Amino acid sequence: MEQQVTNNSKKLKQLPQNLSSLKTVSYDVNARDKLHAIWFLGPSLLVLAVFVFYPMLRTLYLSLFLTNNLGKPTVFVGLQNYWSLLTSSSYLASLQATFVYVIAVSILTLIFGLLLAQAASFKVKGSNFFRTVFSGTMGVSVSVAAIFWLFMFNPSIGLLDQIASVLHLPVINWLTQPGWAMTAIVISTVWMNLGFTFLIFFGALQTVPVNLYEAAQIEGVSKSYQFFHITLPMISPTVFFVSIITLIESFKSFGLIDLMTAGGPNNATNLLVYRIYQDAFLNGNYGLASTESVILAIIIAIFTFLQFKILEKRVTYQ
Amino acid sequence: MIEAHSKRQKILEYTVLLILTIFILIPFILGFWTSFLPTADISKGALWSSHLSLDNYVAAITQTPIIRYLFNSLVVSILTMLAQLLFCSMSAYAFVFLKFKGRDGLFYLVLATMMLPFEAEVIPNFATVRSLNLLNHYAVMVVPFLTSAFGIFMLRQAFLQIPTEVKEAADVEGLSHWQFYARVVLPYSRISLLTLAAYSFLASWNQYLWPMLTTFSDNFRPVQDGLRQLQSQETFNNWGMIQASAAIVVIPTLLVLFIGQHYFKSGLNEGAVK
Amino acid sequence: MMKMRQALLKTIGTAAAILTIGGVWATQVRAQATKRTKVVFWNEMTGPAQQKLNEFVKEFNQSQTKYQVVSQFEGNYNEAVQKILNTHGTDASPAVFQSMDISTSQIYHSGYTTPVQKFVDQDHYDIDKISPVARAFYSEKGKLLSMPFNTSQPVLYYNATLLKKYHITPPPTDPSYSDITRVATQLYQRSHQKVKGLSVEIYGWLFEQFMANSGESMANQADGHNGTPTKVNFDTPGAIKAMKWVQENLKSGALMNFGSGSSASANEMAAFLSGKLGIFLQSSADISQLTAGTKDKLGITYYPHPDGQKANGVAIGGASIWISNDKPATVQRGSWEFIKFLMKPENQAQWQAATGYLALNKDSQQEKVLQELYQKVPAAKVPSEQLSKTKPDETNSGVFLQGLIQERTLTQTAMDQIYNGSNIKNSLQQAEDAMNTYIKSNNQANGVK
Repeated sequence: MEQQVTNNSKKLKQLPQNLSSLKTVSYDVNARDKLHAIWFLGPSLLVLAVFVFYPMLRTLYLSLFLTNNLGKPTVFVGLQNYWSLLTSSSYLASLQATFVYVIAVSILTLIFGLLLAQAASFKVKGSNFFRTVFSGTMGVSVSVAAIFWLFMFNPSIGLLDQIASVLHLPVINWLTQPGWAMTAIVISTVWMNLGFTFLIFFGALQTVPVNLYEAAQIEGVSKSYQFFHITLPMISPTVFFVSIITLIESFKSFGLIDLMTAGGPNNATNLLVYRIYQDAFLNGNYGLASTESVILAIIIAIFTFLQFKILEKRVTYQ
Repeated sequence: MIEAHSKRQKILEYTVLLILTIFILIPFILGFWTSFLPTADISKGALWSSHLSLDNYVAAITQTPIIRYLFNSLVVSILTMLAQLLFCSMSAYAFVFLKFKGRDGLFYLVLATMMLPFEAEVIPNFATVRSLNLLNHYAVMVVPFLTSAFGIFMLRQAFLQIPTEVKEAADVEGLSHWQFYARVVLPYSRISLLTLAAYSFLASWNQYLWPMLTTFSDNFRPVQDGLRQLQSQETFNNWGMIQASAAIVVIPTLLVLFIGQHYFKSGLNEGAVK
Repeated sequence: MMKMRQALLKTIGTAAAILTIGGVWATQVRAQATKRTKVVFWNEMTGPAQQKLNEFVKEFNQSQTKYQVVSQFEGNYNEAVQKILNTHGTDASPAVFQSMDISTSQIYHSGYTTPVQKFVDQDHYDIDKISPVARAFYSEKGKLLSMPFNTSQPVLYYNATLLKKYHITPPPTDPSYSDITRVATQLYQRSHQKVKGLSVEIYGWLFEQFMANSGESMANQADGHNGTPTKVNFDTPGAIKAMKWVQENLKSGALMNFGSGSSASANEMAAFLSGKLGIFLQSSADISQLTAGTKDKLGITYYPHPDGQKANGVAIGGASIWISNDKPATVQRGSWEFIKFLMKPENQAQWQAATGYLALNKDSQQEKVLQELYQKVPAAKVPSEQLSKTKPDETNSGVFLQGLIQERTLTQTAMDQIYNGSNIKNSLQQAEDAMNTYIKSNNQANGVK
């Protein structure tokens, strides 16, 4: 890190002139810094300690207990909560559903995000309009998205089933059939993600040097070849960045589930965070919910760790 | 030949753009459109009515606390944003410009907190805010988010770009750390600060689970949970009013997004690529 | 760059302005409310019931000058229980709150409330005026814990106009499963599959009622009336018969599955009101919404029972009102005054007319508003008839078990599976096993042997 600062020093240009006269520093810099460190870092460290470090330890602690109806840990049971979760078919189903959801959402978000970014780069009239539209869902918060899509998926008045009945296709009970409910949640999530993903990808596409395409054009290379052999490699760091972010955010999905399916039907959309909420704040089973929290934290930690590795690389070698 | 080819390509391009536009826009359009229809017509499955009106909006504003919800969200988001700008930048400053024992260790510790999802910690955090007697207050939605590891990380990267000579010169001039922080470092990194501002504001605005657990009255409930509240109260399927409420919530953010798109885009790429 | 700086400054400036205005506003609001003793009242009522309840609050506040009741909606019944327990002892907690039937055991055991009996005794309140069946549900050893407030009966609704249109004989007042199957199938077929015959929402409460109406206990220790239950039984003959009935109608296409949760019941009602659904099972509390929402004639019958077996009667549903013990005596007194206000004969009568919940004050039946209702909608009498016909026994007086929300979640999951074609016995057995594991660890955690 220090080295980086030194390297940057070559860009010396912003030195205010009145600072250039030399004075010797006569006091102990480190002592002064130490004192300042307390003031500069104190507030943040306090908040992180109280709301991030302590709760993690506490959650670990609670996960080893049974809690009574007032949420107090009463009986130490060791790893029994973990054992009962990992042998419960319903929890395993939740785990599986979460992975299905996360993978589907991530892949579709990437594909559609790229498609939007690519389409927005077409040199056609009105492309500014399309760019604005494509970034639109970024301004949509989770509850608004849920309301929009609840209406789309409504079995008796929703648009999708109205179209289906006009075309004499079977009417789908989107939110009450397990497979379809998951599909509906995935569609809504992807739709919500697209605004942000589009903006990032579109920005990345602009950084690809134009002469690469020009050269390809001269060679007479097809568009799809250009995409896979020029565009994608050039923006691959961004693609990776977006996919990890989407992955992690999907693991934490809660709002859409709560508003659209409440984990149903038949627990088909009972993803990890919703389950924690259900077990803790509906059933009052805080010990078990803590165990579920620990499992969630481990899964997310793994993916965040991956993200760091990649981010670090990019920051250093850019 | 070539002209025909390029014409065909243009048509193809427009078709792709159009299909994508429809997919993105349909939920919006349908939502906004139905917000002008009488609920009685909507619940019959009619998407056309001769009684277009603003009645649903009037009903949403006069019969529900939707405006109050918006206000609450605004207060919480602004407070969170300002706090994060201050505390994150202070911490980032310490990690870049202060020399003290265990600095790197502490930094990695802060980084490590990014691996811990807040969602997995709600149970003890609820107990904490409960014992601090913060429940059902703006403070409960701000205090746990006064700082963010992501913000510290991002600003640290920005501060590292400041040439060492600037710092050396400041030392020579006798600027204190506070003076250097406020007069040189912050103005130098304003783009990153703006990005963090946007990010923290949006993150706070979109909070859903935590306010749902910790607010119990309309005086403090933010808009995300307010909409949930309206939806669950409306057993009668008052779709017109629900859609109008959603529109009231989404229109300001859309406007901000479109007006600020220019800043936002550059900011985001800055944040993402750096 | 300049632009950005300006933007940043503007944002901060606006923020500061908004916060100042907001602060001033908040303090003003607070200043206005300080003269009276504030009594925060949590409720979970929606739709017309919420409107009526808020009217009561307003009337109560205008009727006296000592107390100011502040009504706050806390989402659905399930959410509210943990909110109540979690906030106890903080400034956010309610002074008086509504909590659902099946939470009675849990709230009582928390020790967070003052039994209503204390105020009944202090005031020599004539408690005999309040329905004894409802009181029994919320009493422990003859001591009234909370005041029964919104009390409903599960009933069956049908669209009489639709049946007439397709020349279908309506079901009898005390129908069996096959009576309903006949009507549902005829409706579905004669409407050329345009009208769905029947809906039974995936709702644990309805499942519990199928068992009660078959005369079966869900939990041991006589549904918890003789002691803390240690086991439940879901795959009883009565439960299986009910689920078979559902599957039979699913197979013929007559039954529409709306799923579970609040959007399920909303969609179910919307379908019924728009004439796309002929019959559904739901709380009597929906009557007013149903009569207001459609011009079609509404039919109501008792809860259906298994074939070749007499209906054992269903338990009451709904909720009662409790007084928290973490507030000063004056606030608790205010809570009690508010409860008394709600239980006045005229208010109980208005409550039934506005919602469909049963008026619990015996004097309410003479009130004009109820007499008019019975004249206009004769079917509105059916729920109270069903109630008075029921002979209370251990199986139809509710289940006294902590953690019944878990039971609802599990039975609903089982119903969900069954509605999607799974084996009935397996699904119920699975739910039962999960519930028994839960009860075991829950009893252990709460020190029950």
